[in-house]
Amino acid sequence: MKRNSDENKSCQESLSWFASWWRAWTIFWFTPSNPLLLGVLRILVGGLLAWSNFVWLLDQEGFFGLSSWQSAGNVWRLNDQPWHWSWYFPAQTVLATNSLTAVSLLAAISLSVGFITRPAACIALAGYVSAVNRAPLNTFGFDDVLGIMLVPLIIGAAGARLSVDSIFWKKQPVPNPETTIALRLIQVHLCVLYFFSGCGKLLGASWWEGTALWGAVANIQYRTIDLTFLAWHPLLINALTLGTLFWEVSYAALIWPRLTRPLVLAVAVFVHLGIGLTMGMMEFGIAMLIANMAFLPPHLNTFQTHQDSELATGQNS
Amino acid sequence: MIQEQQPSNDQPSRQQWPLAVRLFASVVILIYLLAVAIPPLAGPPPASELASVILQPFRPLVGAFSLSHGYRFFAPNPGPGHSIRWTIQTARGNTLKGVIPDAKTDWPRLLYHRRFMIPEKIAALVPPPLAPAEIRREATRDWQPFAEDIATHLLVKHEGQEVTLELIEHYLPDTFELKEGRAGDDLTIPLGSYEWRERTSQ
Repeated sequence: MKRNSDENKSCQESLSWFASWWRAWTIFWFTPSNPLLLGVLRILVGGLLAWSNFVWLLDQEGFFGLSSWQSAGNVWRLNDQPWHWSWYFPAQTVLATNSLTAVSLLAAISLSVGFITRPAACIALAGYVSAVNRAPLNTFGFDDVLGIMLVPLIIGAAGARLSVDSIFWKKQPVPNPETTIALRLIQVHLCVLYFFSGCGKLLGASWWEGTALWGAVANIQYRTIDLTFLAWHPLLINALTLGTLFWEVSYAALIWPRLTRPLVLAVAVFVHLGIGLTMGMMEFGIAMLIANMAFLPPHLNTFQTHQDSELATGQNS
Repeated sequence: MIQEQQPSNDQPSRQQWPLAVRLFASVVILIYLLAVAIPPLAGPPPASELASVILQPFRPLVGAFSLSHGYRFFAPNPGPGHSIRWTIQTARGNTLKGVIPDAKTDWPRLLYHRRFMIPEKIAALVPPPLAPAEIRREATRDWQPFAEDIATHLLVKHEGQEVTLELIEHYLPDTFELKEGRAGDDLTIPLGSYEWRERTSQ
């Protein structure tokens, strides 16, 4: 009898444990969020993507053309086909490749202003994937970060606020679960990115020695601001290198608690603006900072508008 | 952690999704998260065979959304920068010279970076000149198709007859060398000479 009672108790505890997990999971992913923050991210990501597409257009023939830096045939052999698709593979004329990039550019602009937002986000994503899959020799971290944010912008109600759509449709934007999912996807993806970026650095002796930052400072290919005076301050190089390493490795843990989040985000601003300004990778730095904005409060109290006040008043009354 | 992230409850919100919808969405979210987290485990090297095996069913999703990133920024160590020096002989007998990337002409900066990635990614495939002959011969099969593409692009763009490519590894001085005003020589690795021919593989 006692044995049965113990088994029941154990079973109930297990069920309770699973129920706690499910409850936490549900709160994490499905608690409705105000779409204002996602609207801000949409404007910024769309603008950055439009700029990226404009730059693709500047050397259209070199990136996607018949005599490009990397031939379509070699890219096809290199990629994991047929999954790494691109609409540039079948495009065989200059007009076709130019038109496809122009479509990507227009979709990115449409996404940024929030005009026919969700279809625009889908086309912008298709254009982005096509470009990076067709020209892998010309992509870098900036493209990786843009990719993090496009799928969430399709999923969430990115066009519900601060958009042309919201002017035409005049629908009252309400907090919704799909916006929460979008913001959470960006947050978790960002944690994955920093975790692996930090772990990759742990393989390198220069990161342990605290000298890795010098490798970036002394590299003339990257340099836009001369920081070689740091050669006279080796301990400062050590501190900056080890600080960056610790911040990256611990980001996925320390970004969540309320006490440490502002510190982690402040370091993100310092690191990414630093990379942007001194290594000439401003687009990469801005993209990382935009992704980090997903950790701001969804209702963005500091940017609260009249519409937000009305929503809040309506609820209170 | 979860409490902290809860969105504000002071606004009207859409009703919670039904359980079936939340279950379905949870499965989709989990699949997406796995497609995000597994690729950096599976590569670039060093990577485990297990990660590669787990990645297999996710390949369509990873490819379709371009999620195959390693996120190894400046890892394991920030190394020297690279560029490709080219010399073209035109049909009229002129000699043209240039470099990829060219900080003077490749503007805006994002265009410079897109072109800068060409020598950086090829350099990852090219062993140093003092590497054993067998290793260099093996590696040639990896980098030569890229070099041929670059050569073809330059020959078409500049209407050249023959182009010679060299990979330049720019010397990275340490702090002591910089303070003493010393610097080593850049390393030059020949990538071959290529004559113009009609491209057949598209």
